[in-house]
Amino acid sequence: MMPSARRAYDAGLVAAFVASALLFLVPQFFFIRQSLLPNLSPGIVGDTISLDNYRAIVTDPFYWGVFGRTIALSAVSVAAGLALAFPTAYLLARIGSRVVRWLIVLLLISSFVSVVVKVLGLTLLLGTDGPVVRALRALSFGLWDVRLLHNDASVAIGLVQYTLPLLVMILFGVIQNVPPSLEEAAVVHGASDFRAFRRVLLPLLWPGTLAAALIAFNMNMGAFTSAVLLGGGKVLTVPIMIQRKIILETDYPNAAALALLLTLAVVVMNLAALKMRPAAVAATRAG
Amino acid sequence: MRVSTKHIVTGTGALFSYVFLLIPLAIVVGASFDDSASAYFRFPPEHLSLRWYRELPAKYWHGLGLSSMIALAAAALSTLLGAVAALGIAKGSLGRSALLETFFRLPLQVPFVVTGIVFLQFYYLLFDAWRLPLMGTYPGFVLAHLFFCIPYAAGAVGSVITDDLRRIENAGRIAGATEWRVFLRLTLPALKPGVFSGLFYAFIVSFGDVPVSVFLSTGGAVPLPVEIFQTLQFDFDPAVLSISSIVVVLSAVFIVLVQRLVGLDLILPGARR
Repeated sequence: MMPSARRAYDAGLVAAFVASALLFLVPQFFFIRQSLLPNLSPGIVGDTISLDNYRAIVTDPFYWGVFGRTIALSAVSVAAGLALAFPTAYLLARIGSRVVRWLIVLLLISSFVSVVVKVLGLTLLLGTDGPVVRALRALSFGLWDVRLLHNDASVAIGLVQYTLPLLVMILFGVIQNVPPSLEEAAVVHGASDFRAFRRVLLPLLWPGTLAAALIAFNMNMGAFTSAVLLGGGKVLTVPIMIQRKIILETDYPNAAALALLLTLAVVVMNLAALKMRPAAVAATRAG
Repeated sequence: MRVSTKHIVTGTGALFSYVFLLIPLAIVVGASFDDSASAYFRFPPEHLSLRWYRELPAKYWHGLGLSSMIALAAAALSTLLGAVAALGIAKGSLGRSALLETFFRLPLQVPFVVTGIVFLQFYYLLFDAWRLPLMGTYPGFVLAHLFFCIPYAAGAVGSVITDDLRRIENAGRIAGATEWRVFLRLTLPALKPGVFSGLFYAFIVSFGDVPVSVFLSTGGAVPLPVEIFQTLQFDFDPAVLSISSIVVVLSAVFIVLVQRLVGLDLILPGARR
């Protein structure tokens, strides 16, 4: 490449870097500062720097429970989402029939619709006047007071709705990049389908799958639509607590501290997952 | 073809996914045709009517317009930025730097709700300091959405800059093409699928967003998903069913048009026409 062309690419990179750095770092700086200031009364922020806001959260067992529940809900939803997305993406990537083309059209349509609309559909389906509850009530002769909403499971279902289209789309791309001939070769040489999947496909798909899983996990950790609408105020997660602090209490410093602890939890879990990666790849090779 | 356990497992999983993804949409569309009293949702509908389409408040149309304009701008700007960044990382003098790639993916580590309140506080600050009106304004929404769209766009464009592309460009140079011609005739066409899928990913993430926009919305400017969210949270209004159904139909028309005119592999590389 000519040096002039390389310089043009460098200039572009510098421009993109500076613009992104301004966007990424400047607001975060003021935000971190805010989290260190005291909340005097709703909307009024003092100016003495301290770690008091963090101390109040970290020493409160209630918040430990909220963090634990947020992480558990996010992780379970990612696992369920992957269990659904994997076979779906595989089918879409490997079978080239006319039907599959229309399935991709349907997937893309569903990805356009905000999760709020899907959650609305779920509340109609599972709500107290919905068809499922009425049918179950009729079947049990009205003895069973069926309630399908406002619990952890309904929130998890909402989170799977949130990430599933994106998971299928990302995994579709990942599976596309593995030539089908590799699996066929394994099967020709006597491997069962399951063994070909575990020993050939999975090690090749693992990095892409992990990246997709982390994106979905991080989305779940920061979402509150499904917890608010399907949890009905009974399922408390960190995003809901942050939203309440801002909207109901106008307590910006404590919301900021809570938000930074949430970000910290996400970063730590992502780093831990990436550390796990070589070990997990090794595990698929053994046995 | 031999039907094996593999086909049964993938077929069942895919069927379940599609039922799971499409049933809520089908219910919303179905319930939107019910002529019930207000503040009450019912499915299946009992009296078919177009009442909630005729009585659709203007605020939902404004919300849909605002959401589309925000998502278009956020997708275009983030893809431009992401493409320039991905090209610079792949072809600049620093070589492929993992550190730089991580930098452009940083927003993925920031939960959406956090992004929302970070920009909320930042906009208040800018307003106090310089009277910059970003809260509840179009530029304010676009800037905050740009933050979380950049990683998707940069990732999508980065994935099409391969070693093959480098070899093809070198072949072009050996054949005597100028750098400018190599860029226009070889690099840009190769970027096309990455650019379009980056645009698509960024658009859908921005278009459906609630947890960021909910903090930046003010009375006059509310994107559609936030408008629907607030309606569901505070006061039920069956009109959200009809506007949601309209979004479903518009997306369907758009996707089918893309499929017919240019092929789906443009937005989902690998998808056949």
